Amino acid sequence: MATKTLTHASVDHAALDALLLEIADEKQEALSRLYHATSAAVYGFALSILKNTHDAEDVLHDCYVSIWQAAGGYRPEGKAMAWILTIARNLCMQRLRERKRHPELPQEDWERDLIACVQPDSEDALVLDACLRRLSDEERQIVMLHALSGFRHREIAALLELPLPTVLSKYHRAKNKLKKSLEGEWMA
Amino acid sequence: MNDMDARLRRAVSAAVPDVLDSVLSDCGKQKGTVIMMSEKKKHASRMRRIAGLAAAFVILVGGLAGFGVYRSNYAVASTISLDINPSIEIQVNRKEEVLAVNPLNADAEIVVGTMDFRGSSLDVTVNALVGSMLRNGYLSEIENSILISVDSSDPQQGAAMQERLSAEVSELLHTDTFDGAVLSQTVAHDPELQTLAETYGITAGKAQLIRDITAVNPQRAFEELAPLSINELNLLAASKPESVTVSGSASDKAYIGRDAAEQTVLENINAGADQIAWWDTELDFEDGRMVYEVEFALKDAFGEYTAVVDAATGEILYAQSTPEYSPEQPQAEPGAVTAAQPAQTEAEYITAEQAKEIALAHAGVQNASFAKAELDEDDGRMVYEVEFRSGGWEYEYEIDAVSGTVLKSDREFDD
Repeated sequence: MATKTLTHASVDHAALDALLLEIADEKQEALSRLYHATSAAVYGFALSILKNTHDAEDVLHDCYVSIWQAAGGYRPEGKAMAWILTIARNLCMQRLRERKRHPELPQEDWERDLIACVQPDSEDALVLDACLRRLSDEERQIVMLHALSGFRHREIAALLELPLPTVLSKYHRAKNKLKKSLEGEWMA
Repeated sequence: MNDMDARLRRAVSAAVPDVLDSVLSDCGKQKGTVIMMSEKKKHASRMRRIAGLAAAFVILVGGLAGFGVYRSNYAVASTISLDINPSIEIQVNRKEEVLAVNPLNADAEIVVGTMDFRGSSLDVTVNALVGSMLRNGYLSEIENSILISVDSSDPQQGAAMQERLSAEVSELLHTDTFDGAVLSQTVAHDPELQTLAETYGITAGKAQLIRDITAVNPQRAFEELAPLSINELNLLAASKPESVTVSGSASDKAYIGRDAAEQTVLENINAGADQIAWWDTELDFEDGRMVYEVEFALKDAFGEYTAVVDAATGEILYAQSTPEYSPEQPQAEPGAVTAAQPAQTEAEYITAEQAKEIALAHAGVQNASFAKAELDEDDGRMVYEVEFRSGGWEYEYEIDAVSGTVLKSDREFDD
C-alpha cells in the first residue's frame, strides 16, 4: 500500500473520494488505507510548517482523527487531498498559536531527527538534507507539497494562501537551489 | 527534478512515524468520543487551579455584597447575546430583569441608541432590540440570520430562555417581506472562548458557534470565519454543529444566485446549456469573499471544469479545465502542428516553437507572452512545459514532445 505513494506523485483522486465515503460509514479499514496513501504528504507538510518532529507527529494523529469525525461532511468532488491538507494546515496553525502561548518549550534539532530516519548517505537522504538546510520555510513548504501531494501550483497557492506567481517563482528558485546544492555534493 | 521529487518522497515516507494504531484506537467505534492529541496535552491541573480561583473570587464578592436580596436582584444570573453583525450583550438577574445592555461594536451602538432597558423584562428588551435591528436595516431579506446565545448560571433556566427567546424572535422575523433564520445555543463558561472572543472582537457566543463549526468542518479555520456575519456562517456551515438549534433558512439574496453564476460561466466558454453534461454549483467562501464554485463537464469533451464566480458581482475570478490524458483517445487539436513520428532521439522531438503553437491553438489565443517552453521529463515521457499569459489569464500546458499531443492544460485568472 505504501509503495503507491512512493512511485506516484499523482494521486488517485477518485480512490481517495471512495475511501472518504467509506470512512463516513465508519469503516476503520478505509481509514487505514487512506492513512497509508496520504500520511507522507500530511507529515511532510506539517513538518515543513512546524519544524518540529513531535508537533508534526501530533498533527498527523489529530488530522486523521479529524478526518474520521468530519468525513460525513466531505463532498466527493475529487479534491480529497486538498481537503485533507487544509485540515492539516488548520491543525498546524492551531499548534503555532499554542506554541506562542508557551514559548518556554525547548526547540529541537528537527533536521537531525528527521535525517536520522532515512538511510544515511543515500541519495534520498542527500535530497532531504538539502531541502531542509538550503531552502527558506516557504520554499520548503512548496517543494514538499509538490513532491508529496501531487498538487498543481494553483492548488499549492490556494493552500498556502500565496499568489500563484509567487508560488511559481519560489518553486523554480528552490528547484535550482537544490540542483546546485546536489551537484556540489556529488562532485565533492 | 522529477527524480528529486521521487527521492524526497521516499525520504519523507521513510521518516513518517506510524501513528495509525493510536489513531484507530482513538477513533473507536463511536464518533464524538474521540480524543485529540492537543487535548491530551492541555495543562489540566492549571485549568483546575484557575477555575478554583475564579470560584473563590465569586464567593468573596458575594460575601462582601452582603444580604441576599441585593445578590438576587443585582447579580448577573444570565447573559444573553444577540449577534447578526451588530453584537449586543444583555445581562439579567435571576428574575430575568435587565441589569445592563452592552453594545459590543459600532453597529450595536446604533441599534441600542439611547434606549435604557435597566429594570425592563428580558422579553421586552429583546423585542425592542430586534425591532431596532429591523428598522436600522441590520435584519433584512438579504441578511436574515440572528444568533441568540444564552449563558446562564442555572442550566435549566438557560435552556428555557433559549427556547422561549428563539420562538419569540422567529415570530418577530416572520415579516411581510422575508422570514428570518434564528440560530440559538447555550454557551458554556470557558476561558478559551473568552480569549478567542477578545482576540477577534466578537461575542463569546459567536466564538463558540465558530469553534463548533470548525470542529465539524475542520477544513475551515477560526480566523477565516470570525469576520463573517451570522448569515454567512449560516449559509456556509454545510454541517451544522449539534450544539446549535436552527429555525428558518439563511438568505442568499445578496448574491447573484446559482443560475446566474452558471449562465455567466456558459457565456464565458461560449457554450449552450445543452452542451453541459452536469453541473455542481455551490456557495463558498474564498479569499475574503463569497463565491460560487461552479464545476461542470461538457458532453463532448474530456475532463472537468471549475470556475469561481464572485457571488456578489458575478465576475469570474478564475476558470480552470483539467482534461485528463487518455491514451486510447489522443486529443490532438485540429489544425495543430502534426505530430512527428515516434522517436527516441532528441532531434526528432517537436521544437519548442511548435509546442508553443500547439498550446496557442488549443487555447484559442493569438498574442501571448511566454514565460516558459522547456523540454522536461515527466513520468518517463518527454514533454514540453509551456507557460504563457494572454488577456489577463495565465496558461499552463504540457505537450507530448514526440506526438505533439496536449497532455494537460490549465488556465487561471492572472491576478
